Amino acid sequence: MSSFDFDVAIVGSGPAGIAAATALSNAGVENIVVYEREATVGGIPQHTHHPSFGLRVFKRPMSGPKFIAALRRRCPKVRFETNTTITALRRGGELELASTSGLHNIRARHIILATGARETPRHGRLVSGLRPQGVTTTGALQQLIYTANQRPFTKPIIVGTELVSFSALWTLRHAEIKPLAMIEAGARISAYRPSTLLARAMGVPIHYNCEITDIAGRDTLSQITVCSQDSDVRTMACDGLIFTGSFIGENTIAMGSHLNLNAPNRIPQVDQNWITSDPGVSAIGNAIHPADTGDKCYLEGSNAGAYVAQLLAGKTTVNATFAEIRQGEGIKMTTPSILRDEPKGPSKFDLSFHVTKVFRGRVRVRRGGQIMHEKAISCLPTRRITLRNIRLQADMPIEVSLNSSRE
Amino acid sequence: MSEPHWDVIVIGGGVVGCAITRRFALAGAKTLLLERGRDILSGASKANSAILHTGFDAPPGSLEVSCMQAGYREYLEIHSRLNLPVLKTAALVIAWNEEQLSQLDGIVSKAHENGVADVQQISGLALHKREPGLSTKALGAVEVPHEYVIDPWSAPLAYLKQAVSVGAGYRFGTEVKSGAFDGEYWHLNAIDPDAEGKRYTGRIVINCTGTNGDNIEQICRKPNFEIRPRKGQFLVFDKSANSLINSIILPVPTPTTKGVVLTKTIFGNLLLGPTAEEQEDRNTARVERKMLDELVAAGTEMLPDLTNHEVTATYAGLRPATQFKDYQISAEPRKNWIGVNGIRSTGLTAALGIAAHVEKLCGETYSGTANFGQAPDPDWPVMPMLAEHELRAYQKGDGTEIICHCERVTRGEIEAALNDKSLPACDLGGLRRRTRVMMGRCNGFYCSARVNELTRGKISPPVVGRGEVRS
Repeated sequence: MSSFDFDVAIVGSGPAGIAAATALSNAGVENIVVYEREATVGGIPQHTHHPSFGLRVFKRPMSGPKFIAALRRRCPKVRFETNTTITALRRGGELELASTSGLHNIRARHIILATGARETPRHGRLVSGLRPQGVTTTGALQQLIYTANQRPFTKPIIVGTELVSFSALWTLRHAEIKPLAMIEAGARISAYRPSTLLARAMGVPIHYNCEITDIAGRDTLSQITVCSQDSDVRTMACDGLIFTGSFIGENTIAMGSHLNLNAPNRIPQVDQNWITSDPGVSAIGNAIHPADTGDKCYLEGSNAGAYVAQLLAGKTTVNATFAEIRQGEGIKMTTPSILRDEPKGPSKFDLSFHVTKVFRGRVRVRRGGQIMHEKAISCLPTRRITLRNIRLQADMPIEVSLNSSRE
Repeated sequence: MSEPHWDVIVIGGGVVGCAITRRFALAGAKTLLLERGRDILSGASKANSAILHTGFDAPPGSLEVSCMQAGYREYLEIHSRLNLPVLKTAALVIAWNEEQLSQLDGIVSKAHENGVADVQQISGLALHKREPGLSTKALGAVEVPHEYVIDPWSAPLAYLKQAVSVGAGYRFGTEVKSGAFDGEYWHLNAIDPDAEGKRYTGRIVINCTGTNGDNIEQICRKPNFEIRPRKGQFLVFDKSANSLINSIILPVPTPTTKGVVLTKTIFGNLLLGPTAEEQEDRNTARVERKMLDELVAAGTEMLPDLTNHEVTATYAGLRPATQFKDYQISAEPRKNWIGVNGIRSTGLTAALGIAAHVEKLCGETYSGTANFGQAPDPDWPVMPMLAEHELRAYQKGDGTEIICHCERVTRGEIEAALNDKSLPACDLGGLRRRTRVMMGRCNGFYCSARVNELTRGKISPPVVGRGEVRS
């Protein structure tokens, strides 16, 4: 008789978590539980009602809640436990949970962390000013408008031009709110250029090279001050300020656990099969590469779940040793961030990464100092770059570095 | 409704005003607290470093050190009855260079002079063993074993709740504008948030208005001090940074400032600050990017690993400094007015001691007037426990779900704070201070819509935006 409560416990019921559960269930693993700390299953998409989901998975655009409902129909046997927060992850497959009745522990043969990502809010960005009410994020805005049916602002300003920033714009449009402007610190938008069409259609100007130097308002937001690159200072009266993007992995559980973290960003290290430094724990989705689309997370979760099913069936094993994949200057994070050899030898894998600023040049992958792969790339921050079908032996440290073409 | 005649009217609901209201209410005085903000702690008291000081480095022989030490003792006597937490961290005054190293001796002897006998110097080796996260540049330290960390918001709230439980009154949103003394009673004129005039009558007035202290003092007399607001900016790092230090990390003070402190918070975060910036404005304290960047740099220099941790909050507060080092507490003979001014950053520690001092001063100065009714049997309100190292509601299981995931605040805790009979939260700041809701790393990304829904009609202004529901 095993002392495990579950074969697999999955933390987080967004697209990645549901995908892993589905893959495991399809592979015949029966005793699966998915924990969700919110009252409803689905993670961020559950609050995103515009049709930005489904294109990759279902070949048609769907709203977030419809996307989640369709995904759940694929795994009817999986058990979801909502209003359940994981408060600790311990060695030996143990999770401490907080439910409405307090704390208790469970054990699972394998644990998958799919805890998602959140935007960097005002304070994390160290923005100057007072602390009035009315300063928020896209995540909160979507819940206010779509879930709580509110019209919170009449003249808000959106900070950022990532894909999610246009999601904020779309969300405002749903509540018939026309924002005053979008503000971007860089010289161009962070999302793909066609995204500006929505802003243009709504008549919302985008101010480039602009930084917020003051937030004013004693109780509620009254205005912000914006400074442009050429030191043009202007004040803009507004009643809402929406900080968008700059996603951070929601890795509170991993940070408080025994898992190895990448030093600069404190994201848990994962290998090419999403296994962390603990062979009994996987980490998947936007928690480890904040942030990709729900569809991409779903596809990744399927692969990660299928791998865990193989592991539980004894069809493969996890190597005890691994090589670190170090990131050079200008690289924000790589996925995977560690590499393990497979039972049959060196693994063939896709290596993804994000850059910290606009980059055009060559990316090099070295193993023990020797260049093994090299590719010309041109990329923007917040975009995922993928080097496909890399084969490397995990016997010495691997380094991914950027070399600007001028060199 | 006509207002009753009060024995004592306390103006200002900071930590000092709350402690004084408690002291007089427990002594049997019919006591009223007037506060211009929507809740207590709307001024200087909402932003401090939350340290319970031993007084080891206060000026020997000062009123400040005696109030701090009396306050320290009383807090430790009463905290468990009020369910208020204490985190027993100790403090280390760090020498970062040879010059500071040579000053440690003096710090130890000053501490001994202040009666803090267990303060001693420790070697660089011993320091790094205790604090492995500190930069190797630290050369040595003075250890202060009994410097602790407390909850800066639950404590004053408990003081006022206890006062209310024995009959004290309070009026928020009430700004005192003028007053007159008729030889027996003070008649204070105040305005409410709708600018409507209100009149309050009491025998004795105690001015605890912090950064507005000299202006309010004018109602009775020409103040012999001037408030010179000093701004302090702080950064709160995420709970992941909490274990980077074990003790409170203090710098060797300079003649002008106590310097930047690194401390755990009772809520399990890491606090860095304050700056010390003189400013004219008494009412608003902005955070400024440049100073925050400088703070981060200073913090990282002390604690190199800090750079890998997320900032969850930035805030700024105003300390009601005066041109004098010591507190400015005095009673005006024959006018039944006590000014409690110039209570700088040590106010949280000293508040209970200041209250005892003021009660004594009151009895001595106004022996005829300060005869109050019989001291009531004190009630001891049990405060909600918000300290990370103690058992929280979500851990015990209060039958409700967690709403704020970063700070793990349950719906039950939020509802209890909103529906509290004696001192409900009536604005977002008050709710945050009572529960920790929305105080975490996501700044409300996950929970503001839920909090908005739970607080609808109960707090003003609403959590986000205008609270307008679409038809």
